[in-house]
Amino acid sequence: MSAPNCLRCLLRPSAGIPVSSLPRSTPFALVRAAPFTTTTANPRPKKEAQADGKPKNHTRAGKKLKLGKFKKEKVGDRGRPPLPGERKAYRKRITLSNDNAIPVPWLTDLGSADLANPANMARVMALPVELQDQLRASEAFKPTQCWGMFRKPAVLVRKETVDLANRMQNAVDKRQTLRLVVTGDKVTGKSMMVLQAMAHAYLNNWVVIHIPEAQELTTACTEYAPIPNTDPVQYMQPVYVLKLLQAIKRANENVLARTYTVNPHPELSQSVPPNTPLLALANAAKEPDAAWPVFQALWSELTTQGANRPPILLSVDGLAHIMKISDYRSPAFDLIHSHDLALVRLFADALGGAVQLPSGGAVIAATARNNAPRTPSMELALAQREAEQARAEAQANGLDPNAVEVPQKDPFFRGYDDRVEAVLRSVQVLRVRGVDKLEARALMEYWAASGMLRATVDEKTVTEKWTLAGSGVLGEMERAALLTMRI
Amino acid sequence: MASSRQGFTSALRGVTRTLNGKRPPPLEQQFWSLRLNGGSRRLSTEPAPAETSLSITAAEEIDIKQLAKRYRIAQHARAVPVSASYFSRTPTFNDRYLALDKLARTYSNLPVVPPADAEQVVWKSLPDLRRSIGEPVKATDYVNCLAILKRLHQIHPDLKPDIVKEALEDFKRDVQGFLNRPAPIPIDKFGRALGVGKRKSSTARAFVVEGDGQVLVNGKTLADYFGRVHDRESAVWALHATDRIDKYNVWARVEGGGTTGQAEALTLAIAKALIAHEPALKPALRKAGCVTRDPRRVERKKHGRVKARKGPTWVKR
Repeated sequence: MSAPNCLRCLLRPSAGIPVSSLPRSTPFALVRAAPFTTTTANPRPKKEAQADGKPKNHTRAGKKLKLGKFKKEKVGDRGRPPLPGERKAYRKRITLSNDNAIPVPWLTDLGSADLANPANMARVMALPVELQDQLRASEAFKPTQCWGMFRKPAVLVRKETVDLANRMQNAVDKRQTLRLVVTGDKVTGKSMMVLQAMAHAYLNNWVVIHIPEAQELTTACTEYAPIPNTDPVQYMQPVYVLKLLQAIKRANENVLARTYTVNPHPELSQSVPPNTPLLALANAAKEPDAAWPVFQALWSELTTQGANRPPILLSVDGLAHIMKISDYRSPAFDLIHSHDLALVRLFADALGGAVQLPSGGAVIAATARNNAPRTPSMELALAQREAEQARAEAQANGLDPNAVEVPQKDPFFRGYDDRVEAVLRSVQVLRVRGVDKLEARALMEYWAASGMLRATVDEKTVTEKWTLAGSGVLGEMERAALLTMRI
Repeated sequence: MASSRQGFTSALRGVTRTLNGKRPPPLEQQFWSLRLNGGSRRLSTEPAPAETSLSITAAEEIDIKQLAKRYRIAQHARAVPVSASYFSRTPTFNDRYLALDKLARTYSNLPVVPPADAEQVVWKSLPDLRRSIGEPVKATDYVNCLAILKRLHQIHPDLKPDIVKEALEDFKRDVQGFLNRPAPIPIDKFGRALGVGKRKSSTARAFVVEGDGQVLVNGKTLADYFGRVHDRESAVWALHATDRIDKYNVWARVEGGGTTGQAEALTLAIAKALIAHEPALKPALRKAGCVTRDPRRVERKKHGRVKARKGPTWVKR
């Protein structure tokens, strides 16, 4: 690469410095007239410096190869380039309201019993503001969902929602734990089911611990460290746990402030005497190093039997990621199983039924269809559980239960994982499918009332979108009706 | 005198029967006599066959002098063609044209049907006509002739005289495409109609039953099978365009080609099956572009080109 200015012209203003910016006090001639130079003492300044203050290129006169003669000159100023992480933040930002959308007058806010009420089936209901804050704090909203199109976030209460909320309520009434996996096809609303479960939990003053993306735990993108005195060795993920603690703290502030510790926690650096609010305990973690012990202390407090504890909801999205060998390596450079990561193990134990929650609660995991690794054990286990449920249902209806075949392991396949099977041995499976036409109609009426769907909502349009969406798959309905530009 | 004159005229015209009681040569013989050489081709160096299977004899020469002995007027006779068109360039065509014209004038007051209701007929094209008559018919004449043909064809079929029908037959093409009617699609005992559609290299078979708008393509839902919303829309376009999307269910098998081809093959298949259920929808479906098969295929690649038409990149040398 050649220098922008040749050596002869070192005294002339370089490309970066316009002539006008030279100090005025210096006499111009003094600067120009170098004491020792072979060039003429008085060069023609007008030809040397162009109008914009840049000196002319030092090119030979005569012919030269010029490619792209007719190309437009590039505009120099492109503005500030985005800072590191700025693009990602823009991509991942979550907008929950759109001031240009029409407010829907008949929209009512969710109450504590609304999601479990069958009368609300096929109704769209809004999320109250404080619930929005809680859900946002626990990252329940996803950037791929269409929240930013409407005046305020609202959810469709589906048949499955009511079913799930009732199951959660029944479990808490009996002080049991609902262990359930939400599964279904692409964009059928699995994450939304988890969101609705969380909404139900928040509205009923449960403590909610939500892992928004399970892949963040196992794809080796967050720090990890072995936990001392564990055999086999378990690993903590301090940075992630600190983030999780803060999310728990923000989302469950009211409940945690009303719940008090019963045990002393000598292992913590900060002294937490009994009868301290759990919020203060959660606050004890200020930096990643202290995060894991604090989280453990918080979890042990929450699961202490006999004390007055709120029900707990543990939820995770993207179950397949924590049901496989993780991308982390042990000091011997062996791959670590996901269940050897302490946080994942805590969740897996709860899902497997090893943890007794004091006031009952729920452990809800949702599978994902995009960006999910193949986990043969999980797929098989879920298919088996589903077939067993179908058998039980057939028996209850007086049909032949043997008509439903339970899938079996492939004896010639080695990729099964016993630990995963053990976890999923007794979970319930909730399969989310497309909505029926009544629900589709309720949703489309809400879209039309918000001004987002510019069509008359009648039997014909509803059926059309319902068919185009493959029998009412919600995400596809959004694609067909909202996201496709019609002019 | 009159009878003798008539006999003389017929004698000149070659109607020999009345003249000398001889039968005319058989038709086949006449045909053979038209050929330049006796049927099978042979080289000029080959010897002529000793005896042809058909003995071709020329018409008897008319001996004017002999005739003049019987009919005195015969000495003034000259040979005159039967038809006045004999001296024109296209005598046969002209004769037929005149005959048609006469028929048209004769039957001009018979009732006609509107052109759309008349039986669909493919008339001979100009090259076909030229070939069949063997005369260089002028295009303008043929156009005029066609106009008369069509006018005659419009005469109400119940009242159309046989002579008109015969005259029209000469101008019809040998193969009448409009007679090929597709067999109507039956609706089976389960209420299904099976339509078949093709587009590009895709083939679709769609079973359409009355239902509530469910669609299964190769065992998957529409959303699962077609990733693009546009493809989904074009697959059910026949139902959408006729407002029947909530009235029927579709179960379809598609194979071959890409997604667009498969989706548009489905359009055609569903439309055909829908017509089987409701034949009155055909005009609406035709308007929506769901009835005619799109005949376009991939254009073949040509030598000297990168693809069918794309030219190779220009290089200086």
